[in-house]
Amino acid sequence: MIHGIDLSIRDGEFISLIGASGCGKSTLLRMIAGLEDISGGTISIDGREVNNVAPKNRDIAMVFQNYALYPHLTVADNMGFSLKLRDVPKPEIVRAVREAADLLGLTPYLNRMPKALSGGQRQRVAMGRAIVRKPRVFLFDEPLSNLDAKLRVQMRTEIKALQRRLGTTSIYVTHDQIEAMTMSDRIVILNGGRVEQEGAPLDVYDRPANLFVATFIGSPAMNLIEATVRRDGDRLFAETDDGLRLPLANAPVAEGTAVTVGVRPEHLNFVSSDAAGALPFAIDLIEPTGHETHVFGRLGRHQVVAIHAKRIAETSSAFVTIAPGGVHLFDRASGQRIERI
Amino acid sequence: MRSLISTLPGRVGTVLAVILLVAWSLGPIYWSLVTSLTPPLHLLGAPSLWPHQITFEHYAKLFGATSLSQGNAVQSVWPQFSAALANSLITSVLATVVTVAIAAFGAYAFVRLEFPGRDLLFVAVVATLAIPAYTVMIPLYRLMISLKLIDTYTGITLIYVSAFLPLALWLMRSVYQAMPISLEEAAWLDGAGRVYTLVHIVLPLAAPGLIASAILTFLNAWGQFMVPLVFSPTLATKPLTVLIPEFVTRNYIDFGLMNAAGILAIIPPVLLVLFLNRYLVSGLMAGATK
Repeated sequence: MIHGIDLSIRDGEFISLIGASGCGKSTLLRMIAGLEDISGGTISIDGREVNNVAPKNRDIAMVFQNYALYPHLTVADNMGFSLKLRDVPKPEIVRAVREAADLLGLTPYLNRMPKALSGGQRQRVAMGRAIVRKPRVFLFDEPLSNLDAKLRVQMRTEIKALQRRLGTTSIYVTHDQIEAMTMSDRIVILNGGRVEQEGAPLDVYDRPANLFVATFIGSPAMNLIEATVRRDGDRLFAETDDGLRLPLANAPVAEGTAVTVGVRPEHLNFVSSDAAGALPFAIDLIEPTGHETHVFGRLGRHQVVAIHAKRIAETSSAFVTIAPGGVHLFDRASGQRIERI
Repeated sequence: MRSLISTLPGRVGTVLAVILLVAWSLGPIYWSLVTSLTPPLHLLGAPSLWPHQITFEHYAKLFGATSLSQGNAVQSVWPQFSAALANSLITSVLATVVTVAIAAFGAYAFVRLEFPGRDLLFVAVVATLAIPAYTVMIPLYRLMISLKLIDTYTGITLIYVSAFLPLALWLMRSVYQAMPISLEEAAWLDGAGRVYTLVHIVLPLAAPGLIASAILTFLNAWGQFMVPLVFSPTLATKPLTVLIPEFVTRNYIDFGLMNAAGILAIIPPVLLVLFLNRYLVSGLMAGATK
């Protein structure tokens, strides 16, 4: 089910639909493709309403999660299938297929059957099939989810570079926030068939509109601490029920408001005990990842995780401060972000 | 690693089971072959596992213009035999082609098209498999008489198709259900219509299922006895299954001739299965997805 989505995508834009499984992102993509009927609203491509236009007449190409290559056709025939159906002359098809194959490094495999290809090659054939047509829109339905981690990173950059080069409007569905963040001009976060937030990847990361987005984007996820807004003279702070005080800068929020304070792990900075605003941090577990260290522990009674750019020796306690601008404030009742002034 | 002692009885058991199974299925054919090669007089004595004296006189009786029977030159049965062989081939092939063609398209509709009562209709079609043939024989006979379809290829083929289609539909439905719909969706987005997609994308991939349906239907039709016994009274459409028992005459049962004809009647279905089996390769879908 998709509810009241109002989204316009600019020509040549790369946009990602992201959300947990069942959030409606694939359904939305399939609606754009014409593979699912819509019960209300309109879908327009290039100003033309396509609600009742058959998929084949929408001038879109789709790359499926399972690639959906025609197993009884060679790579070249797979890629040229759509042109053949459009009665494009044979030499023209051969030329278009060659061109796409060159672009994707598939030239040596043109006469192979799909079953004789590796996963990454099949993925490329699926993309080749989409690009030979020069469609108005590319639709990607989790195209990398069947590849291993290393290949996924490689294909990610390839797809992005290819899209830049071709300049074709692309809609990309993924549940992988790293893919969405790294590839997109804009991301749309979906939850339960509704848009939670849309915007440039870093804007969404820096200013999540609500608690769902705050925890969905970013890994490890944003730390959330439930607190109540208090005032001490002209200083505003959020106080937890166990007395932890987190400073708030100029938030337009009344005293006594129940809030959730969000702090990204990289905004918890380790400091010495005598630093201003130092908060005692009890360490439970230290996970070195190589280029940074994830430190799991407690601020008061609240489980949090901090990311430290350097390596850390085993220890059981430390002090942290919250980096300037590192506090995200959410209204606990509505879950909506409270914007700083 | 399992020890030899624990696997040895298992192996012996397997070998025994295989021998039993082979004897069970090939034994009657062997017996028939031996009988068809044994001189008529020897057939009346004690049965023997192999012919003491090999003769081709039964086959000669089938193929020759005339042949010797109990010392007299008699008309051979080749005219009847060849007509019945042709009838068997024609009705079986017609039934197979029509059944598989309808099943290929019909089952697709049952899987991919949405229409009211779809599943109910399918259950109703398959449920006809449970109706014993003899319960519909008399009404069917009256129907065929009024349609003037008794003793015609059309009549026999229609009966076969109605009898074997449910099974073929059922088989093809599960074949289509196992196919990822994304292949068809990819074809639609590539610009193919429903029928083009079915013919050029779906059917080639469903080939193993189509061949299995064809084999099942052909063998079923080839082995039919009761339907042609009722609906094919003359050599215009009478198949081998009905002709061969007619070699039993009032005074004499020609075991040799019956078995020789039986052995020959086995050949077409065996050839068909051997031929189609090559296309029954599994893994045809490999490389389509993932």
